[in-house]
Amino acid sequence: MKQKRGMLLTLVFVFIMSLFLGACSGDSEPADGEPSNDVADGDAWEDWSGTITVWDGPRWADEEDNKYHWLEEKKEEFEAMYSGVEVEIVQTPWAEMGDNLNVAIAGHAWPDIAPVDISGGAVSINHIEQGVIEPMDDFYTEEELNDFYPNALEAYMHDGQLYGVPNSISVHAMLLNLDIFEEKGVTPPENGQWTYDEFVEKMKQLTDGDVYGFSTYLLPGYYEAWPFLLMDGGYPLSDDFTEYTFDSPEAISGLQKFIDLKFEHEVAPTEMGGPNVGEVWQAWASEEQRSIAVQPWATWAIVSAQGEEWKTNFMVAEYPTGDTGEPITIGGVGGWVMFMQEDNHKRRMVAEFLKHISNTEEQFTMAQHYGIFPALQSTAEMEPFADNPEMARAQALSEQAVMLPRHPEWARIDEAIQKELQLAANGEKEPAEALQDARQEVERIIGE
Amino acid sequence: MSVQTEFEHSKQGALSHRPHGKKKRKRPTLLQEIKKNKAAYLFLMPKLLFFTVFMLIPILWSFVLSFQEFGVFETTWVGFKNYVDVFESPLFRTSLWNTFLYTVVTVPAFVITALIIATMIHPLGKLSQSFFRSAFYLPTVTSMVIIAMVWRWMYNYRFGLFNYVLGWFGIESIDWLNQTATALPALMIMSILIPPGAGIIIYLAAMNNISPTLYEAAKIDGASPFQRWWRITVPLIKPTTLYLVILSTIGSFQVFTQIIMMTGGGPGNATETIVHVIYKTAFRDFNFGLASAQSVILFFIIMIFAIFQYRWFRTEN
Repeated sequence: MKQKRGMLLTLVFVFIMSLFLGACSGDSEPADGEPSNDVADGDAWEDWSGTITVWDGPRWADEEDNKYHWLEEKKEEFEAMYSGVEVEIVQTPWAEMGDNLNVAIAGHAWPDIAPVDISGGAVSINHIEQGVIEPMDDFYTEEELNDFYPNALEAYMHDGQLYGVPNSISVHAMLLNLDIFEEKGVTPPENGQWTYDEFVEKMKQLTDGDVYGFSTYLLPGYYEAWPFLLMDGGYPLSDDFTEYTFDSPEAISGLQKFIDLKFEHEVAPTEMGGPNVGEVWQAWASEEQRSIAVQPWATWAIVSAQGEEWKTNFMVAEYPTGDTGEPITIGGVGGWVMFMQEDNHKRRMVAEFLKHISNTEEQFTMAQHYGIFPALQSTAEMEPFADNPEMARAQALSEQAVMLPRHPEWARIDEAIQKELQLAANGEKEPAEALQDARQEVERIIGE
Repeated sequence: MSVQTEFEHSKQGALSHRPHGKKKRKRPTLLQEIKKNKAAYLFLMPKLLFFTVFMLIPILWSFVLSFQEFGVFETTWVGFKNYVDVFESPLFRTSLWNTFLYTVVTVPAFVITALIIATMIHPLGKLSQSFFRSAFYLPTVTSMVIIAMVWRWMYNYRFGLFNYVLGWFGIESIDWLNQTATALPALMIMSILIPPGAGIIIYLAAMNNISPTLYEAAKIDGASPFQRWWRITVPLIKPTTLYLVILSTIGSFQVFTQIIMMTGGGPGNATETIVHVIYKTAFRDFNFGLASAQSVILFFIIMIFAIFQYRWFRTEN
């Protein structure tokens, strides 16, 4: 009995100690657990000394294959400007960024700055509401804010406040492998514009036993196929996000058109709608495996297809138009966010660094080397794609971009819908059935 | 006093005390035990500390968390709400069923394959045994990520090995990973066909411990090789079988890498498994309370299975 009691006491002691140690370890959390939004006055913040931690993913490589060289240069510049400041860069693969940030937030050990697409799920509106993300309005003048494209700024707004710095705009575009077009004697669409019927006609001309006109994939978090679903006027949620609307006749008709490419017109392979992103890319870009003429991709793929590894003869086209008569694409906005700060002077210094890495010149550099469209109008005026007509054409598509609903639980809603889309794409459900079946789960999530 | 005599002495002592049962020797307390074996506990301390900090506390913590709604700055006690939510979730029920099916198919396959291969290797000479032991164990060193990538290629609709072989017999290609009817079986086949290296090694060790005199006696009595295997080998390695069954059941209930690498839980929810759902709930949805409730349920499911298996095998013994 005594032995058992002794063991129990030991365990309780260790448990209490770990709770105590855990509570003492967080250095980012203020004593009262509430973020302070006061901005440092005067110039005293310039004397602040300490470390600013920045997480970033790999970007374009330099001659030594270092994919973090751009941020390292910015770090050195900033440290030279403010002698007491040290910038610590934490290299984080993009695939791990979301999970790592979530774990860091749960453990109150977040970085000062991280690249976050608020609509992307890693950091959500829930985090903003809980005070994990610092508002940025006070660090920008009205003139500076007016320089951002309004839709880019809108992506980081919540309850009338700005929670992050938009750094890039991306859209999805159709990439046409011109070698296959030439081999089959098919002319690409004029100015990259086509209706759904014209699109189907060309896909039929491109398709034979070995080559298919079109393919893409379906999986949560990927929206390459979605412009087809929206082409007749469908949209997943009502404007106020309180209702599921993706089983409307317009949405069903859009999905039907997408599915028809595989089963009715037979211009897409059996694998279309599967979850294999890499295999779909290889089927378009790899010379040895080339068997798909047209695929939709986010804009990073343009730069990739222009690089040495995948060097492809291609052009950028719009998504085909449906019943609305307007081409539609899905857009996204990337940027940086500042995580909660205790110290006013540090907050101001971090904001300064954020501005240092996202100003007009830096967005120009990113646009040229990293294949993204600037969120600043002053950068666009510098014409970063003057020598890159394909990127310029893709940038023009951003005017057609539709943003995804910014519902706090979008990641779960998206999964519920995409799982049904997969079943429609592999022929196990009719489009109407699939979109109607998603209703129950989506309504359950919305209603929570 | 030699170890042998000390053992005999204590055994006799124990036996001589048992029938009377009057004087029960007072058992030492934990503190006395620690004092007595100071050096041993000192050596054990680092491991025990690691175990406490990285295993015991997180387990206890996740149990506490399962009754809370986790927020960044404050957590609210919600009682059994998370558990109710878990059982009301169709996704969790689907994942539970898929995981159960996966376990029921792959665990017996793993154990039986290991037993058969070990049986075939066992009669070989030392050198041959070593060769086959290494040959079957080496693949298990490979990361599951790599194995999953290779298998994804083998299941490829157009270039995959499986459809190529089916083509020889005039059978139409199957879209293995993209059809609800074939996706989960495809993952099961993959798990079954990966050589059970660890199982083989453990079984071989157990078989090598069986006294050859038993086989010789059975041979003299006219037992056939199969009878010798069935009547001597299989019963005597039953504790090893129990160990492997429990271990592989735990592994199967925690299947994750294959899912995330090959299907992402799709098509539809055809390959959703419990750990994949837990992962998404915690790291995508930031709902650590609900994820903890799911983990606790998984813990109890595995525990019940383990107890059931243990009792079943023990009774048989």
